[in-house]
Amino acid sequence: MDRRSFLRTLSVGIIGSQVIDPRELFASLPAGGTLGGPALSVVKGADPTAATGAAIAALGGMGKFVSRGDVVIVKPNIGWDRTPEQGANTNPAVVAALVALALEAGAKKVKVFDNTCNTDRRCYERSGIAAAAKAAGADVFFVEERKLKKVDLKGEKIKEWPVYTDALEVDKIINVPVAKHHTLARVTLSMKNLMGLVGGNRNLLHQKIDVNVVDLAGYFKPTLTVLDAVRVLKRNGPQGGNVKDVEMRNTVAASTDCVAIDAYGATLFGMTGDDLGSVREAYGRGLGEKDLSKVNIIEKSLS
Amino acid sequence: MATQQKMSRLKKTRIVSQTVFFLLFLFLLTRTEYHGRDTIGYPVKVFLELDPLVFLSTLLSSHTVAPGMFLSFIVIGITVVLGRGFCGWFCPLGTMNDMVGALRRKKVPKETRLDTHGVKFKYYLLVGILVAAVFQFHFAGVLDPVSLIIRSFAVGIAAAGDYLTHSLFGLLYGTGVGAVRAVSEPVYEFLRTHVISFEQRSFVQGTFIGLLFIGVLALNFVRKRFWCRFLCPLGALLGLLSRFSLLNHKLEEAACDDCKLCLTTCAGGARPNAGGEWRGSECVMCMNCESICPQQAIRWQFGRPKPEFRRTDLKRRYLLGAGVGGLAGLAIMRVSPARGHADPKLIRPPGSVEEPEFLRRCVKCGECMKVCITNGLQPTLFQAGLEGMWSPLLVPRIGYCEYNCTLCGQVCPTDAIVELDLETKKHTRIGQAFIDSGRCLPHAFGLDCIVCEEHCPTAPKAILFEHEIVADEEGERELKLPYIDPKQCIGCGICETVCPVGGEAAVRVNSVGEDRSPTNRFLL
Repeated sequence: MDRRSFLRTLSVGIIGSQVIDPRELFASLPAGGTLGGPALSVVKGADPTAATGAAIAALGGMGKFVSRGDVVIVKPNIGWDRTPEQGANTNPAVVAALVALALEAGAKKVKVFDNTCNTDRRCYERSGIAAAAKAAGADVFFVEERKLKKVDLKGEKIKEWPVYTDALEVDKIINVPVAKHHTLARVTLSMKNLMGLVGGNRNLLHQKIDVNVVDLAGYFKPTLTVLDAVRVLKRNGPQGGNVKDVEMRNTVAASTDCVAIDAYGATLFGMTGDDLGSVREAYGRGLGEKDLSKVNIIEKSLS
Repeated sequence: MATQQKMSRLKKTRIVSQTVFFLLFLFLLTRTEYHGRDTIGYPVKVFLELDPLVFLSTLLSSHTVAPGMFLSFIVIGITVVLGRGFCGWFCPLGTMNDMVGALRRKKVPKETRLDTHGVKFKYYLLVGILVAAVFQFHFAGVLDPVSLIIRSFAVGIAAAGDYLTHSLFGLLYGTGVGAVRAVSEPVYEFLRTHVISFEQRSFVQGTFIGLLFIGVLALNFVRKRFWCRFLCPLGALLGLLSRFSLLNHKLEEAACDDCKLCLTTCAGGARPNAGGEWRGSECVMCMNCESICPQQAIRWQFGRPKPEFRRTDLKRRYLLGAGVGGLAGLAIMRVSPARGHADPKLIRPPGSVEEPEFLRRCVKCGECMKVCITNGLQPTLFQAGLEGMWSPLLVPRIGYCEYNCTLCGQVCPTDAIVELDLETKKHTRIGQAFIDSGRCLPHAFGLDCIVCEEHCPTAPKAILFEHEIVADEEGERELKLPYIDPKQCIGCGICETVCPVGGEAAVRVNSVGEDRSPTNRFLL
């Protein structure tokens, strides 16, 4: 899909969602606005591109998060040498839609990358993300050792750690995790997805993973988090492999509050935010709201 | 002294041919890498397939021939009809020898015993290799020039070139100057995407194999094309095949003023000069003699050669000795326990045939190591006995076998690694992972980890957990203790690669349980 057809599909999603229910214009007031609590949009729709557009529109549009001239990172999960159908990586259409929206909002540059688990070239290729993001106008590149820089993350557990320089020299980070099962963290959502911005022996971070991922969230403070729940990997995560483990949910959720979105993500697996150590930890540090009853949830269905 | 001659047309053509084929060789080497597609799409092993020595020795030792290897009949045909032109016109190692040899001071060489008798050494070597091959001992790959140059480039020279390139652009990037980066980064991106390996490769023995190759090149300072003259078993084979070839050197003795310039430039040990007792089987058809002769007394013409022209005077005694030598070499190498008792670390790539047959086929060309996307395939030293030296093994601490990749089987010229379709490959067991509970973070120290399980690619996973409630200062929590399901584990080694325990990993793969072996097992 080229950039133009993206925008067309996106506008369908955006306009469609606005027209369907005018109250949502009200609901999409700034996070922490009149209704109190952060806003969380949840859009169901068979077309991930349109659903993404609608989810962002419901929060007030990309223009609220990205300013003209910004350098933006759209950070998907490209961790595994798997196809989109296997649900181990972020849906390429969701990534591409965010790239197009950010550019449309005036971003100078949109960068897409991830520090992968399988061989990076295979992951970029087979996830479909490199091709989709490039077509949407993003700079797509691989994480290289030489571009890592040691910085003090000032975390509870993680102090000095090598971080990818592009993640340091950036105006806005849009975090785009995919919702999936993970044996240690139970599910892997937005905070864990930030591990792709750092290098070093990341596998050591699994000791006290719930604290570590909150350290990352506290340091990177993504401007916006978009949860891809188009396909949800329910078992055998985080890389799956069997499409029988994948459930079609056709859902895209977005929020500025990464804790709220992970608490919402937990519900996709029949849990609540309180079941997740990282959500409790992040809430405890004041990074966001874990109680969904205090979150302004804007739900839409596009079909 | 003669006046400077213009280069003859034949010599020019020869140089063009060498240039074209050498560039082709380098190009195919750069294609021996993952480039975004699951198939290689280029005939990267074609030089090996054209190689009659690889064909013959593999046929003798394994009684099988990969279909592509019938291409060698092209070279056999050319050699029988025209002579040993392969060495002078196509062989990439010959071309490199010419390049280095050109640096050498030119003077009329004084013929020593090395020149008169040394040229025969390669024939004896060939005989030794072929006799050993008849007894199913495949040693040709170590000395075959095509195999040698590909291996040397793959694990030594190209890796060193990569190092220089990666370092140079790393330095330029490190300057932090925007203008420098603006130029260097796009160039670097192009180079690493299309020319050099995408990431720096490192190889066990890479330095050693690279130095051996530099040694081969350095021998050009002793004699031009030292390797080709005295050592090359393929050269010897082609020399024998060219015995009755029809394109021949002809010296007009009446016109010759015995300046010996032809002898100075001769790339082989063919003695093109008057009274030099022409040795056709030593001629690599470089056309230097024809080109340089100030009297234009040397011509190439078609016709039956005079029988004495072709004779390389091999002594029966030495031939016998070579055969016995081949047998003795074979026997002494077979004393190694490697054949009967699989080395636990000898993890062969997926698709490898059973070990004895693997050794009969593998020519140690290093193609599989070059193409391996994780750098996990490495040359053996003694893990497969000296007999299997430089054949491939997976070293999971360096790199694992990528679940969705089948490239090594695609580039193997002799079907030592059979090309598997992806579904078969995913279920091909190359070894078995074992958890070392004395080092494993949850088992030994009660720490959370599960990195091995997370990376395990099979579905369902081969790494499972026992759950245990543990208490520490922060209260009770559930600890996941990994264990392995041997029915699912395929031995890909990603668990060992990613295990956060430094040094020796806490989960390690052994070759035991490999599908290809009926004996190297641990399950009923």
